[in-house]
Amino acid sequence: MPGQGMHLHLDALSLLFAGLLLPQVVAAALAGMRGSVTFWIFVLGMALALAAADPFTLIFGFELMSAASWLLVLRGDAKPATLYNGVALFAGACLIPALFLPPSGVAFVLVLLGAGAKAGLAPIYSWLPRAHPAPPAGVSALMSGGMVKVALYVLIRQAFIVLAPAAQPWWGDALALMGAASVVIGALRAMLEVEMKTLLACSTVEHVGLIAVGLGLALRAKAMGDPTLTALGLQAALLCAVAHALYKPLLFIGVGEVKHATGTTSLNMLGGLLRGMPRMGGLMLLGAAGMAALPFGPGFAPEFVLFHAVIMTAGTGGILDRIAFTALLAALGLSAALALGGAVRLIGIGFLGRPRTLRAAAAEDGRTGPLLGMALLGALAVPVALLPGVLSGLLLPVIIQLAPNAALQPLAYAPLPLLGLAAIVALAAGALLRRFGVRGTREVVPWMGGFGAPPPWLPFGDPATQPSATGFAQPIARAIGGGLLAAGGADPAETWLLAPLYLLHARLTRQAERVRRATLRERLAFIFMALVVFLLVLGLGEGG
Amino acid sequence: MSVALDFILTLVATLLHAALVFGLAPLLMGVVTKLRARTLGRRGPPLLQPYHQLAKLLHKTPLIPETATEYFTLWPVICFLAIAVAALLVPSFCTGLLTARLSDLVTLAGLLALARGVTMLAGLETGFGFGGAGAQREALYGVFAEGAFLVLLITFALLAGSTTVDGVATAFATRPIGISVSLAFALAALLTVALTETGRIPTDNPAGHLELGMVHEGMILEYSGRFLLLFEYAAMLRLLLWMSLIGTLFLPFGMATAGDILSWPLGLVLWVLKLGGMAAVLAVFEVASAKMRVFRVPEFLGAAMLLGMLASVFLFVAARIGS
Repeated sequence: MPGQGMHLHLDALSLLFAGLLLPQVVAAALAGMRGSVTFWIFVLGMALALAAADPFTLIFGFELMSAASWLLVLRGDAKPATLYNGVALFAGACLIPALFLPPSGVAFVLVLLGAGAKAGLAPIYSWLPRAHPAPPAGVSALMSGGMVKVALYVLIRQAFIVLAPAAQPWWGDALALMGAASVVIGALRAMLEVEMKTLLACSTVEHVGLIAVGLGLALRAKAMGDPTLTALGLQAALLCAVAHALYKPLLFIGVGEVKHATGTTSLNMLGGLLRGMPRMGGLMLLGAAGMAALPFGPGFAPEFVLFHAVIMTAGTGGILDRIAFTALLAALGLSAALALGGAVRLIGIGFLGRPRTLRAAAAEDGRTGPLLGMALLGALAVPVALLPGVLSGLLLPVIIQLAPNAALQPLAYAPLPLLGLAAIVALAAGALLRRFGVRGTREVVPWMGGFGAPPPWLPFGDPATQPSATGFAQPIARAIGGGLLAAGGADPAETWLLAPLYLLHARLTRQAERVRRATLRERLAFIFMALVVFLLVLGLGEGG
Repeated sequence: MSVALDFILTLVATLLHAALVFGLAPLLMGVVTKLRARTLGRRGPPLLQPYHQLAKLLHKTPLIPETATEYFTLWPVICFLAIAVAALLVPSFCTGLLTARLSDLVTLAGLLALARGVTMLAGLETGFGFGGAGAQREALYGVFAEGAFLVLLITFALLAGSTTVDGVATAFATRPIGISVSLAFALAALLTVALTETGRIPTDNPAGHLELGMVHEGMILEYSGRFLLLFEYAAMLRLLLWMSLIGTLFLPFGMATAGDILSWPLGLVLWVLKLGGMAAVLAVFEVASAKMRVFRVPEFLGAAMLLGMLASVFLFVAARIGS
């Protein structure tokens, strides 16, 4: 409370999220942000929000984080900064009353709207793909990997601990529904975007959605008293938060290096970057494997647990709930494949193939600082990818703190035995190929579907003969985008939420202007009418 | 003592399973090609042609295109390993293998997605039109195939109480559940996914070279020698994997158990018979149907996804009426 000083307290949950924040901050500082005071205020705000023991400190840290990140966005690009500021104000306006209300459904809805808007949960997410790409790469990385996590931390703390006495199953349903919408739209837009940073920001919307689905399932199961499912949902959400906090900043810093080396982040202008930037490209490949949730990558274990949690949930509750959760599983499956397509497109169009422009052909490997940051995140992602069982054990105190009766089952996905199988097959196949096959390779002019060799003034061939990022996404845009996106491929939230809000704003402004410009006669008439109405009401009140 | 014996038997069964899967995969491809040709009234290549094909590729020096990156040779290796591990996870003639606990259907879907992803990257390597076209179509098909496959897991989880291939097979083999509408829908959906994943007609044409509609072939056109061998062998393993999977999930009768050596011969014979029967059905189906236009395929797979959802909805309704 004001006047009583700030109270700080670290428990398992805040320690976990602070732990997630630390490597990202180090990596972002290495990526060139360590000289910026605003950046450190941003970090301080996040740390304060995580360590807060009273609502006042929490909201102070949260708003400090919002304000500092707004300044950072504003310096990058003034255009999305206004929208970003509006969303931050909305989040604050929802959270401040929510933190001081007694536990109830209203408080939960306010937390959901406020923290959800800040985390990029549907329906208020369309600011994220605009604002996150604006600042320098280090800040983008921290916003996508850290700031949305702080918002989710507030959501988790309020929903599972502070508001727990009033918990209802529909809280979980609402959270899972918002998460599912974010997952589908985020994965689809990540598949369609051409700018690499916007693409990554859309992918963040997807992963925030995955975390929200896990949390929603856990919240629902906790309210219904199902300890196994509660633990499973929380495990999925927390594993996803850990993995996402590693590979997404890695990818953002990598894209920053691409921008530094080539001056663009548009996939249609790049191509063949792996030749010029081999070390950076290798790290990007690791990050993309996490983003695509491929087995043996950091992103698979959370997806695995989440699918199992949804399958298990579909076996409980009423028949409509079950059908809804079956549809949820289908949506998650679709989105997982869309995320794979998006990651393949990021690597395949940007880093493989032939350069599409001279600047892409002349790209040089990343600078030492950002590369070190990426290597740090990549090195941390390896144990997360290969030892998800150990990581789940480490998350146990947090799960117990959030749901004291949760019963955590051992993880059924074990990458190390699978990797052992693969190693045995690889050794056997390698021995056979070595014993019976020919050695060596020969470098030749590519076959290129029978096209002739390019002319000397086009050393990498005609870029127009290569599939472009837009072209790669075209089948999906046609088959799925037509049904899910608004007319012209626009984001549905922008068309149906932001555009009406802009219209309303314009109309209200016009009317306010009309009042300001009222003539003396109109003003006198208004006062007179008000007087008459007042007297009339008074008279009728007396008479009755 | 009996524990040690049990382990040795399981180990032997697993090794036999691995040898059969890796050894018979080309033969199965040969059988399908032969049957298909026969149905069309042609003589067809010899049954052992796929083995000759692989042996020939082994003796060819691989050509590396100049515009490819250093990872050009890595994609076929990852694709082959992912499919090989997946093939080891799906039980063939008996249940209770050493890999039984790992054989979760979600893991399986992940491994198949990994193989699909690296094949798409291989198609984008040199930046030529066919590869890109194949990759973008594969991305489109994959979206619906994965959704349809995952939705089926609810049906299996509810009916068998397990999501591992081994667990579902054991449950269906020991506990007769009769013929249910749900399982029929699930079978139809799984067959659709299998046809897409293995690149057969009506979604892709395994025999079509340089046809504008090709998907899988298009992505690996720049590969040669041992790297092409890995892709081709992976395709054969993938066909065997899907046939074994459908056989294990829907026709688990007569499957042996790893700890009981006396049940192995019957299990082996029945497995070969099941594979032969499915190969015949596939050949006849391929001859009888035409390849679809690219944008009809999402509708085809979308129908599979709906069938998969209906399968679980019917189960929910049945549970509601039953209780």
